Amino acid sequence: MTTNILPAFIFMIGSLLIPFFRGRAKSIYMMAIPVAGFLNLLYLPTGDHYLVNFAGLELVLLHVDRLNLLFGYIYHIISLITVIYILNFKNNVEYVAGFMYAGAALGVVFAGDFFSFFVFWEMLTIGSVMLIWARKTKSAQAAGYRYLLVHVFGGLVLFSGIVLHFNQTGSLELVKISLSGISSYLIFLGIGINCAWPILHPWLTDAYPESTIGGTVFLSAFTTKTAVYALARFFPGTEILIWIGVGMAAFPIFYAVIENDLRRVLAYSLINQVGFMVVGIGIGTQLSINGACAHAFNDVLFKGLLFMSMGAVMYRTGKIKATDLGGLYKSMPWTTLFCCVGAASISAFPLFSGFVSKSMVMAAAAKGSYLPGQASYVIVWLILLFASAGVFHHAGIKIPFFAFFGHDAGHRVKEAPKNMLIAMGIAAFLCIFIGVYPKPLYSILPFPVDYHPYTISHVLSQTELLFFSALAFTLLLLAGIYPSEIRALNLDADWIYRKLGKQIYRTLDKGLNPLNSFCESIVRGVTTGLALFFRDAAAKLSLFVAVNFWLLAGYRDKRLEIKKNRLYNDISQGTLSIGIAAAVAVSFILLVLIIIYFKEA
Amino acid sequence: MESKEYKKELMELKHDAVPGYKPVFLVLFTLGFSYMAYILSQPCF
Repeated sequence: MTTNILPAFIFMIGSLLIPFFRGRAKSIYMMAIPVAGFLNLLYLPTGDHYLVNFAGLELVLLHVDRLNLLFGYIYHIISLITVIYILNFKNNVEYVAGFMYAGAALGVVFAGDFFSFFVFWEMLTIGSVMLIWARKTKSAQAAGYRYLLVHVFGGLVLFSGIVLHFNQTGSLELVKISLSGISSYLIFLGIGINCAWPILHPWLTDAYPESTIGGTVFLSAFTTKTAVYALARFFPGTEILIWIGVGMAAFPIFYAVIENDLRRVLAYSLINQVGFMVVGIGIGTQLSINGACAHAFNDVLFKGLLFMSMGAVMYRTGKIKATDLGGLYKSMPWTTLFCCVGAASISAFPLFSGFVSKSMVMAAAAKGSYLPGQASYVIVWLILLFASAGVFHHAGIKIPFFAFFGHDAGHRVKEAPKNMLIAMGIAAFLCIFIGVYPKPLYSILPFPVDYHPYTISHVLSQTELLFFSALAFTLLLLAGIYPSEIRALNLDADWIYRKLGKQIYRTLDKGLNPLNSFCESIVRGVTTGLALFFRDAAAKLSLFVAVNFWLLAGYRDKRLEIKKNRLYNDISQGTLSIGIAAAVAVSFILLVLIIIYFKEA
Repeated sequence: MESKEYKKELMELKHDAVPGYKPVFLVLFTLGFSYMAYILSQPCF
């Protein structure tokens, strides 16, 4: 048993006390939470701790190894940076939800069994939805509901997989899983939804840009990276991940180029970057998994920095669409500078953090192509190369160009508040520090690192790629070929449920509802007829028999009419004398017997 | 905060061509594409 505290609990319990603090004490307290968590993390011994017996299950609440420590470090760093960034918002919902969300992410990465893993996995959804709803706009509310639906579905898929896995193996231990059998596929898919795999991704591009300014920074750090961690834990070397990752890296580029909402552009580039990580895990060598983890670490920083810079622009101007922005470098020079650092990092410029991690995945793909029977890795490498050029195009150039340069939209605003600048400054410093001196990052990677990013070949090929990409952007713009920024909602895979789904609904509505009405009219007609028949049947049949007797007995006209009315009323109101009722019953029985007799004869 | 002068929302931000750049783009695109085709046709690929 360890004397250290569970990393998740420091954040979760700490967050509950935030509303009780006021003013400067609140700011200090909020910054103290990730700092205390980080110090706790530094002294966590590796291995399994906090073994708990729950309902007959052996749970391991804390498992520590090199893989989850790496994610733990970066989660604490980005939490501190984001907290500094949002200090001026004075929004308790955002503060508590942010810490709960970060705590849940820590809970997932440090979980030592499938049960704890799943519980924290679901808590991620709750925290993130709160961050989306905290913006309190109609579109945020709708996007939050869609996000919730997708993630609850993903959670159920994952849970089904875990239950089946437990049923088959009798163990909840977090081990490497090979893709065979329904349980492994369900776990794989459940993680894939959080990882924003192609077609399963619209929740990300839909919801992240709708969140609060600080919420988007939190969101960009945790859900997808936690899924990357889960893939690295359970499915390293699963070949299909290479192709899924390649798809993730390539397809967002096209949508990001035509997108007008700059936070949505960053959401697409988030999928693109996670694609590199997924490829690295799919290749499954020590170099590629190190590359994937290092890139996850760096991505949290530079993507957070880019979202923070766009958040600062949004905070000051109230705008985030490219059509509404431009020329802000005059008013917000520091924000412009920090955004450019983030842009250079995500584009993997030499001396910036993206370069030292993305090149590891690229090198692993290139190395793989030399292996016998792995010629297809050349295609992987080429697509990743294309994706590298593309990310520079949309995140490296488009974001700073349309927000800070480009056409002057006429905004004359103040520079971002000090706390925001400090947060962006820390992230920018780390992006440059890691890019210049990657050794500390390499020393915390899961496997020993024997990789040197600053070789002449690496630096030259990457610089060449980036300059040609910049040339392409410039020429496309000057030649008038670059697509216009249009105030519109671009649909990609969400077309399936926003358009196709709606069309299917309308078709079914028009086709099935008339059929439903037709069937209903038939059923109603038959039942009404039967009801009417059975209401009067006894009286009418009795009259049929009795009238013939009365006619034989000489009853006519008014006397016959009076007798008929009396009998009808007596039978329908149940006031028939016992003798007559018995006679009617006997006559019915006789009638039935006669019919049977003649039928058999 | 926000300047009051800028209120009109732009529906489309067009990127008008600067005269003379289209031929430059086409020439460089053709050259680049041919170079890439040459590289990809090499035996190592």
